[in-house]
Amino acid sequence: MTTPPTAIADLDRARNIALDLSGWGRRFTFYQPRNFAFWGYLALVGTGMFVFASRLTRQYDAYSQAIALAVTSFALYAALFWWFTQHIDHYAKLPAKLMVVAFLWGGFAATWMMAASANDAILALYAKSLGQSWALNWGAGLSAPFTEEMAKGSGLLLLIALAPRQVRTAFDGLILGAFIGLGFQIIEDIAYAMTSASSQFGANQIGASIGTIFLRMISGVAAHIVYSAIFCAGLIYLLGRPAEPRRVGRGLLLVAIPMLLHGTWDSLAAIAGPSTLTLLGLLIAVIAIALAIVVRVYELTVRRERDFVRGVMAPEEARNVITAAELHAMAGNRKARKAYRKASRSRRERKRNRYVLNAAYDLADELAAARGADTDRVRFARAEVARIRAGLPSPW
Amino acid sequence: MPDPETNKSSPVPPPWFEPDSGWVPADKRLFGVDRRTIAPTLVVFTLVIVMSVVLPVVNAKVPYADTVKAGDVVELQGDVTFVPEAGWGITSGVRKGNAPLSGEYPATATVEGEAVKFTVHTAPFDGDSNKLLDQIEKTSDALNHGRGIRVASAHATIVTDQGNQGATAQVTGPQSGGLIAAFVFEGRGVEAVAVGPSDTGPESTAAVLQMIRSISHPGETKQ
Repeated sequence: MTTPPTAIADLDRARNIALDLSGWGRRFTFYQPRNFAFWGYLALVGTGMFVFASRLTRQYDAYSQAIALAVTSFALYAALFWWFTQHIDHYAKLPAKLMVVAFLWGGFAATWMMAASANDAILALYAKSLGQSWALNWGAGLSAPFTEEMAKGSGLLLLIALAPRQVRTAFDGLILGAFIGLGFQIIEDIAYAMTSASSQFGANQIGASIGTIFLRMISGVAAHIVYSAIFCAGLIYLLGRPAEPRRVGRGLLLVAIPMLLHGTWDSLAAIAGPSTLTLLGLLIAVIAIALAIVVRVYELTVRRERDFVRGVMAPEEARNVITAAELHAMAGNRKARKAYRKASRSRRERKRNRYVLNAAYDLADELAAARGADTDRVRFARAEVARIRAGLPSPW
Repeated sequence: MPDPETNKSSPVPPPWFEPDSGWVPADKRLFGVDRRTIAPTLVVFTLVIVMSVVLPVVNAKVPYADTVKAGDVVELQGDVTFVPEAGWGITSGVRKGNAPLSGEYPATATVEGEAVKFTVHTAPFDGDSNKLLDQIEKTSDALNHGRGIRVASAHATIVTDQGNQGATAQVTGPQSGGLIAAFVFEGRGVEAVAVGPSDTGPESTAAVLQMIRSISHPGETKQ
């Protein structure tokens, strides 16, 4: 079926609007001397890095074994989460440089410039006013959720000021929040491992810290990464963005949920009491609830991104570069992509379908980078879709 | 695609040319800086100041009001206890019988009195009290690199009221001095450190020695 030229022109116009609204494909420049947020970010992250590096070098001679183990383990852990977080962002992708900027905020500014000193002060104030035992029971649960979530979330304000043309939707907030949380989690975990290394007078460092490292890795699955992702998605709803209308109620709910989860997590030992079994049960329950909520928030926020994919690729369908089924799969969820792949009978065709879909996503990225223009790169990406569909070998 | 803010289709496509990220519209400049970026940055800086300056200052102004009464006993992890000096303030740790809801006492407790800070820390340790004191000295030297508090005398023996032998040494630092003691009870190490001004009076010294001697562990009674 052929689409009339006027309809294609309308689709092209809609694509331009989708690209403009989403910010997809826009390059991010970190160095912006005329941007006040740039200097604020630089000062806070730079000072935080200095504080952390000083702490690490000061303690290295005493706890070198534990530090080496923690840094290596958490670097691998971070790489795994980095891959996963990027993997789920396959619609209107954010620039990788922006994710690095988010990660560094979480790792160095939110931790050392904000949360660490605030947590210590609030815990001490709780102990002074409500007693040591009360502070041990509830102090962490009633300080960290506020200080840490706000410290991490405030980074998103700077990121929006640094990249207003790229951070456009609640889904962008979700992804950037996850990277802020990842940075926070990794650096906090290294600090915890160092504290554990010192717990047995500096002896048996590996034995003392390995338990902490293992526990933090397991619990980290549904901790800071998830909390910040939800919080930052909520913050975008609260503030509103060009591609995301303000929804105060939803925003407040999404800001409150991670605080509640975080508070519950930090109070688990007090809630469970002396029973290890209850503690384990609660631990699993909180992780499961946190994961269920983040999946729901993902589904809620990703819809707009899928609309952008549809908007960008609809003219390609109209021009018969991709089929309607492929467009549906590209702008659909994991199930839709799987259904498209499995639609073919033979294994070879199913494999080819997967490659066609990947090539179509490449084409979408090229179109976004070219702002919808018909560049050499776009034409090449189109040719790649056709080549793979025809089952021809790559000349490259 | 409809504009989500107006819910209407935009009839005009966006311009093809986009200025680079560093460009600031002439009507949005304040001394050359993009004034739209000032407010969010100030919000973040306000949060930073509240968290890293205001809260610690407020905390520093509020004194600890939890003072030790005669007969109080502080308990630590692994059933280690000590009797703090009456009238001193408990700045961390809890009294015996007042365990957190988890049932696990903290590993560290600190009491303060007359500018002297007395901290007891416990953790598993494989070795005797002299080996523990060596380990503490080694870790402390590696952390301080010759600065700060360091062990300044040979090891001596100290005996608790329970009859357990431990190792002790004097510590010294810039304008401060004190005492460190180490005990090992059935694989559980205990470190007690008292630090105060160099001119600390004999009463405080006696109080510290009494607190060190009061350190006990239920499985270690020696008659």
